[in-house]
Amino acid sequence: MKKKALALVLSVAMMATMLSACGGNSGTSSTDTSSKTESSSTETASSTDTAAPAEDEIAEHVTIKWYLEGSNVSDDTEVMAAVNEYLGEKLNMTLEPIWGTWGDFDEGASLSLQSGDDVDIYFTCSWTTNEYSQYAKDGYYVRLDDPENNLLEKYAPDLLGLIPDVLVDGANVEGASGFGVYAVPGYKDIANQYCWDVNVTLLEKYGYTLDDVKNRTFDQFGELFETVKQGEGANFFPLLPESSVIERCVNRVAAIDDNGLLSYYFNPENPSEPLSKYGNVLQNKFATDEFRTFAEQMRKYYAAGYVDPECANSQTSTETRKAHQLEGTYLIGVQSYAYGYEAQASQERGIEVQFVPCEDPYIDTVSSRGAMMAISTASKNPERAMMFLNLLNTDPYLMTLLEYGVEGVHYTLNDDGCVVFTDKRADYTPWRNGMGNITILPPQEGEGVGYVERFKEYYGASHMLPTTGFTFDTDPVETEVAACKSIVEEYSTALYMGSAKDGMLDEMLERLDGAGMQKIVDEANRQLDEFFKSK
Amino acid sequence: MSETTAVSLKRRKRRINAVSVPAETIIHIIMILFCLFCIVPFIFVVIISFTSEESIRQIGYSFIPNEWSLEGYQYVMKMGTQLWRSYFNSFFITVVGTICSVLMCVLYSYALFRPDFKYRNFFMFISFFTMMFGGGLAPTYAVSKQLLGLHDNYAALIVPLLFSPFNIVIMRTFFQSSVPTELIESAAIDGSGEYNTLFKIVVPIAKPGIATIALFNALAYWNDWFTAMIYVRDAKQYIPLQYLLIKMQRDVQFLSQNSASLGAEAVKAAVNLPAQSLKMVLVVMIVVPITFAYPFFQRYIISGLTVGSIKG
Repeated sequence: MKKKALALVLSVAMMATMLSACGGNSGTSSTDTSSKTESSSTETASSTDTAAPAEDEIAEHVTIKWYLEGSNVSDDTEVMAAVNEYLGEKLNMTLEPIWGTWGDFDEGASLSLQSGDDVDIYFTCSWTTNEYSQYAKDGYYVRLDDPENNLLEKYAPDLLGLIPDVLVDGANVEGASGFGVYAVPGYKDIANQYCWDVNVTLLEKYGYTLDDVKNRTFDQFGELFETVKQGEGANFFPLLPESSVIERCVNRVAAIDDNGLLSYYFNPENPSEPLSKYGNVLQNKFATDEFRTFAEQMRKYYAAGYVDPECANSQTSTETRKAHQLEGTYLIGVQSYAYGYEAQASQERGIEVQFVPCEDPYIDTVSSRGAMMAISTASKNPERAMMFLNLLNTDPYLMTLLEYGVEGVHYTLNDDGCVVFTDKRADYTPWRNGMGNITILPPQEGEGVGYVERFKEYYGASHMLPTTGFTFDTDPVETEVAACKSIVEEYSTALYMGSAKDGMLDEMLERLDGAGMQKIVDEANRQLDEFFKSK
Repeated sequence: MSETTAVSLKRRKRRINAVSVPAETIIHIIMILFCLFCIVPFIFVVIISFTSEESIRQIGYSFIPNEWSLEGYQYVMKMGTQLWRSYFNSFFITVVGTICSVLMCVLYSYALFRPDFKYRNFFMFISFFTMMFGGGLAPTYAVSKQLLGLHDNYAALIVPLLFSPFNIVIMRTFFQSSVPTELIESAAIDGSGEYNTLFKIVVPIAKPGIATIALFNALAYWNDWFTAMIYVRDAKQYIPLQYLLIKMQRDVQFLSQNSASLGAEAVKAAVNLPAQSLKMVLVVMIVVPITFAYPFFQRYIISGLTVGSIKG
């Protein structure tokens, strides 16, 4: 009896698993057939009227999934209810955002893309694993300006008008379907401007003013450091460097590749021109005279005790730097500037922080691709996705809803029309700069009225580096790059921080030569020449 | 009489074959050091979880912080439903997962152990093969998600870890060494069916092995966060506690590694992330329950060792 009962239970369990698998399959097959009918209807519809999508184009109600980065969202019910109501009216669709966070986006999004998940829109850029140019080449992203099916022209004519040309140019890349735009660029802080991060409170305590920093070159900072160190004691370290960033501040170079091997010297007064000494030729970062001078200077400062030894240790470097920043225990540090950052920095650190720029703001390939939205080739509704992106980047109501939440619940508008966040904001904090065109948003309380105009002015005035749009394809010199990168990793922190021993730079240069560094430089310059010819 | 007791009492202090005193002292010292190496880090973690954020920023991690505080624990209490939901998820997944995987393991390895099973070699090969060659992350993800529907539900967190060829091999070897085939035959002669033989006769003998496997599996389920990271995407209600902790750490790590590309953005974003002491509080909360699993299983392991199977 027991035996029969057991056998019966097992057979029922087996059938149940089979049925559930069947149920899952039939679900996906039904969406397949529905998408087929939808795509055929859009083909037959002639889209002459591009102001609003043609009726039959949005006849089918679809769900668009959107994979975002850097979000901190635990409760999006109210926001999504309002968003989907609006989108239901306008585009007959439901939006399903996937709130990827800083830590899991890389793994999750690339896995999703590689296994052909049914996600329609992905965040992409130059610094995530689903790196824009690489994935465009591998065929994961739809070419948006494909001459045969130009989604940008058909469904997003207003979008490009609101974005600076430099961003659209920068989005052109050699991809699987030819040279074109494979993602919608996001208009956010797009320019680079490296600055000296100055602790003005401390500076003024010793009788200096900000002009003293502005009018001095890097090697002339020594006097300031000495005075402050005398005053503050042996455990105070006035100079707070950050690896390669400080070299960029001193030498006015742009990073060309991810591996930190090459430098592009631009004219600090006018970054749209190269430095006349080198022209449009990429250099071995460590072999230049400028780098040698910089390394020597850092060594002097380190020997004089101006740099925290903990910073020179690559393991603890970041933590130490952050701790010093938050405590305000530094005099001059470095920072890659974002417009309006001094207010926030001052508030967090409890001191007055000012940024002294090292050069005019400039845009390069990396910064122009800081945040983009790509449509996946596995998406079943690329047209609707494009329509959604168009609406998102041009409609202030929708963008404000998605970025800031529901008015009255997540934020309120004060008399100036600025946004003041409520406590509920902690439950819904997407990454503002990672959604799209932020210039259509109302200003936040700390930013003040007129922020958008000032923002556009600042970034609109940025120069475009001659190398914008150029990406160094390291495939032909893969092995040399890997070898050189590991050599650099051994020595670089010590060189940048000044804790290097005598002759370390020469040693490193010799080893790099042995590992084929010149080949890398030559290959990069060859590609750069081709890039300039094709422009 | 009193003399002999005195002599025998003296004798009892040192047995004849005992290790010499200096050697014993050295061995004791080495063992004590070893135990300290294992325990001290955990004590350190507990101390850090009671440290204030200010103290960590000023002097880093320390056994004697500048300032004790309960901030971390208070923050955790305020985290509310998400935290308790995750705690529950961890327990649920571990308990259910352990039961299911141990059952699977016992059934599979028992079949492999029986010499009269015709397809023994074939199944042995299959399980061994998957131990050597994995399918890779992307194909596994594609199959699990699209074919098996394992996403955003409890099955997604339990199924991927159910089958471990390593455990199969251990179990099978254990059966072979402690269960004589004569026993199976005699049970069959006495009219026992297959399931009866397995559950009533073989399993009680194999208790130490099963307890060991159960412990391994419980640990694997408890510590696993990777499955949660890739399979659970939009439904926050299925996330186990381990993943919450790892998420915080990875967020901070990503931002600090990429601060050169992200610039001021990274610093702005990092402000919202939880503090060091909070991470340690979560570590304490994660480690404490699983340490209770050990004594629980230890009982079975020991009792199994002392039970004989064939007498005489």
